[in-house]
Amino acid sequence: MSAVIPPMAMATPARVRPWKQLRAEIVLTLAGLLAFVVFPQDLGLLTNMATMSIFALSLSLVLGQAGIATLGQAALYGAGAYVAGWTALYLTSDPIIGLLLGGLGGGLIALLSGAVMLRSTKLTLVMLTIAVAQLLLELANWARWLTGGDDGLAGFEVAPLFGIWEFNFMGHTGYFYALGALVLMFFLVRNLVESPFGLTARAIRQDPGRVQALGGRVYLHLLAVYTVGGVVAGLAGALTAQTSKVANLFMLDFTTSAGVVVMIVLGGTRRLAGAVLGTVAYMTIHHIASTLNPYHWLFVIGSMLIVVLIVLPEGLIGLLDRAVAYAKRLGGSGGTR
Amino acid sequence: MSVALLSSILVDGITYAMILFMITVGLSMTMGLMRVVNLAHGAFAMLGGFLAASIPQRLGVPIGLGFVLAIAIVALVAVLFERILLRRFYRRDDLDQMLVTIGLMFVATAAVNLMFGSSVTSVALPEAFGGSVDLGFRSIPRHRLIVVACGLAVVGVLWLSVDRSSFGIRVRAAVDNAPIARAIGIDTTRIYAATFAIGAALAALGGIAGAEMLPMEPTYASKYLVILLAVVAVGGNGNLFGSFFAALLLGIVETSMKYMVPQLASAAFFLTMIIVLLVRPQGLFGRQA
Amino acid sequence: MTLKLMAAMAVSLATFAFQSRADVIKVGVIAPMSGPFSAVGQTWEGATKAYQKLNGTTAGGHTIEVIYRDLPEINPAQAKALAQELIIKEGAQYIAGLYFTPDTLAVAALAQEAKVPVVIFNASTSSLLEKSDYLLRTSYTLPQMAVPVAKYALEKNVKNVVSLVSDFGPGLDAEKAFNTAFVAGGGKVLEAIRAPLKTTDFGPLMQRVKALKPDALYVFGPGGPATYAMVKAYNEAGLRAAGVRFLGTGETDEDQLRAIGPELLGIETGMFYSATHNSPLNKAAVNALTEVTPKAIPTVQLANAFDGLHVIYHMVKATDGKRDGPKAMAAAKGFSWESPRGPVKIDPASREFVQNVYMRVVEKDAAGRFVNREFRTFEMQPDYGRIQNATK
Repeated sequence: MSAVIPPMAMATPARVRPWKQLRAEIVLTLAGLLAFVVFPQDLGLLTNMATMSIFALSLSLVLGQAGIATLGQAALYGAGAYVAGWTALYLTSDPIIGLLLGGLGGGLIALLSGAVMLRSTKLTLVMLTIAVAQLLLELANWARWLTGGDDGLAGFEVAPLFGIWEFNFMGHTGYFYALGALVLMFFLVRNLVESPFGLTARAIRQDPGRVQALGGRVYLHLLAVYTVGGVVAGLAGALTAQTSKVANLFMLDFTTSAGVVVMIVLGGTRRLAGAVLGTVAYMTIHHIASTLNPYHWLFVIGSMLIVVLIVLPEGLIGLLDRAVAYAKRLGGSGGTR
Repeated sequence: MSVALLSSILVDGITYAMILFMITVGLSMTMGLMRVVNLAHGAFAMLGGFLAASIPQRLGVPIGLGFVLAIAIVALVAVLFERILLRRFYRRDDLDQMLVTIGLMFVATAAVNLMFGSSVTSVALPEAFGGSVDLGFRSIPRHRLIVVACGLAVVGVLWLSVDRSSFGIRVRAAVDNAPIARAIGIDTTRIYAATFAIGAALAALGGIAGAEMLPMEPTYASKYLVILLAVVAVGGNGNLFGSFFAALLLGIVETSMKYMVPQLASAAFFLTMIIVLLVRPQGLFGRQA
Repeated sequence: MTLKLMAAMAVSLATFAFQSRADVIKVGVIAPMSGPFSAVGQTWEGATKAYQKLNGTTAGGHTIEVIYRDLPEINPAQAKALAQELIIKEGAQYIAGLYFTPDTLAVAALAQEAKVPVVIFNASTSSLLEKSDYLLRTSYTLPQMAVPVAKYALEKNVKNVVSLVSDFGPGLDAEKAFNTAFVAGGGKVLEAIRAPLKTTDFGPLMQRVKALKPDALYVFGPGGPATYAMVKAYNEAGLRAAGVRFLGTGETDEDQLRAIGPELLGIETGMFYSATHNSPLNKAAVNALTEVTPKAIPTVQLANAFDGLHVIYHMVKATDGKRDGPKAMAAAKGFSWESPRGPVKIDPASREFVQNVYMRVVEKDAAGRFVNREFRTFEMQPDYGRIQNATK
């Protein structure tokens, strides 16, 4: 029986005090609040970081946990954005409804495309994800009347959050909306990953044959993970559309998919916290590099990616882990190990 | 469909296909042989094109010589890249390999931007290649015919020198079973480097030949990456004729749509790719994984 | 929460107001400074510097500081974030620049809320100005260019035409405006072809044009590799030899002339600016540009940015440097002046940019360079797109 369990520490049982369990979410919330206080004039950038982090979380689940190699996650992100836009234009401008419908939209596309693609593996799968995303992009471009084509979908209003907090140009509501969504999604995804569902996904990543032999239904499980990933990505897309009030084709583009893959690799593929860290690092560096000298941004990110892959395969989160462990060792007694 | 339209589609489709073939055959070989997905492959084509555009001017050499030099330089750069960087990733995950090559693609794009500027550059062709040839029902630029001839020549040369020569046999041995190949004295290291260099050189040739249809610009590598990968995936890794026929299939499908329903040409390209991959995941001519 | 918000806003605005009395007024330009369109950003930067060189850095006693933020591609979320940063962090009173329509749409929503005037240096979709009361434009729209070209074609006895445009906003605007005007004048449109934006091989499309045997081919391409490919394909398909006139808009912009000059000889386009426009102001502007940014090419973007900054100077003078969106906009409406391109005016009702449209032909000048020589002027053309839409 122990052969089934992947060689890693099991999640600690539920006897642990609740706030220790919520450690990551608490840190995330505090960091978000701190950012608001320290950088009150950069809320646009911070909001985008939050929405991108949710997008990265979806990929971390799909790629990092279940090992589904995809370079087409943008299809689900973009789908969510457009659905949120259509909701605001034709249905209701209530943001929460738009958000949920956007998530559903992403999930639906993931379900439909995943059903077809996930029978393949590895390289074929990567190619299929790219092709499906491109196809979706081309169709969106062609259906001008629906998507606004190259110009994008715009002109929709977003009603005040919960009827109270208005979205205005100062960006406060937008930021807290995105931050709140991020913390919530992190909580939900983390619980999913630590549940038996998540364990099975990790097992499949490490050895699908074994899981199959033990009676697990690999294909269905992967499809479920991919669909959930689609929902999360769709939510991220909806958030972006609502906070920037535009949905456009760039959100479906291959470079968007590649960008978010780079983000989670930078942060650490195997850990959800890595997704958030990688996104923040990527966007911060982009922001600084752009202001200093826009031409060299690609140099910087390309070299960073190569360096991280060679020297720091666990990503920046690995660095953080080591730093924390070092601090612990310095700080006190040995701890539990 | 009139005969004129059909022949037009064939002529333009085959030209486009030959360009795709020349650029992607190297990628197919590398992927088949070393199982490394080199997403920076388009960067070799791009570098070749840019060098070919600037060497004749800057060094004052005849255009033909400039082309040869460009291709040689790209092959050299490829070998350096393989030795210094790529080798570390042979044992790593597929995804990690793809990512390091994406990183390289970014760096290459930035480098080209720095060296050659950010706007479209045209590759000056030798005088003999210019002008049009009248085929009766339509005229075709002379250099497109040359591109087709080039593509056919490449297939021929590769078939003779790789598929049927002792080099080819050694390559395939290294593909099939590297440890045993090494055990019987085949130098897999040299073979990897040589194959990579040949693949890059072919990409450079394809880039130069195709510069009229796929113009040179710093975003070339990422812009056409998806198309290049599509051709390789559809053809099957490592298979010469696979690449050739995949390029023909996709090239002609896209070109026919360009003539008939231009807005859906790209969509048709990717739809074809999806269908082929679903029916035959290993590609048209690929071996079962 | 709302009370706190309003208090915060009041404090920030008060601080900015105080800043402006300290006399530096910031203009935030969102431009493609890197990436495939970096030449545009470069020309804009050069143009604003050239303007300040010729006209000084103060307007009505207030110092005008132009700051740039890079937006290399279409990314509305990023565009909005940059605009927000410029307004809130940098305290910019005016936003300018904006190359792409989707980015402009994102900024429009922000401008409306914040009551900050936005001067568009490029994005040319006709309906953009309707999205907010605070948008102005100093570039052009396609209908504005297309209708005069149609009239010219009719003057030259062109009886039937094929239109070939890139399949995106401005392209479709051009197609509609040209075809409507051409047909209204008694001409016939044989076919309206739309090329996907990414197309780099126009061979097939040009063959189709050849088969249709029109008197003229009306074209709109998005600039860059597509236009280059389009022109080459036109030449190679033997269309010029077959006597099919090439009528275009921005295909012979100065940077294209430098890249593919010989291929463009003899092509006629209808556009609002040529670097060789014969006026002292234009000569001064082009010279100033070459002095401050030697690498920049005097394309239409020079005129766009130059005039854009001029409007901003005007608005600053009108509001005496104070942050007052509605007053600035009121001052801009109906404002007319002499631009390097010729006489221009901002329509008092629609805020649209009214300017001359010139028919030009590509020739070699005395120094052997390729230039657009203006030979026919259509005076003070309005945005026909707004008019056509309004009469529906």
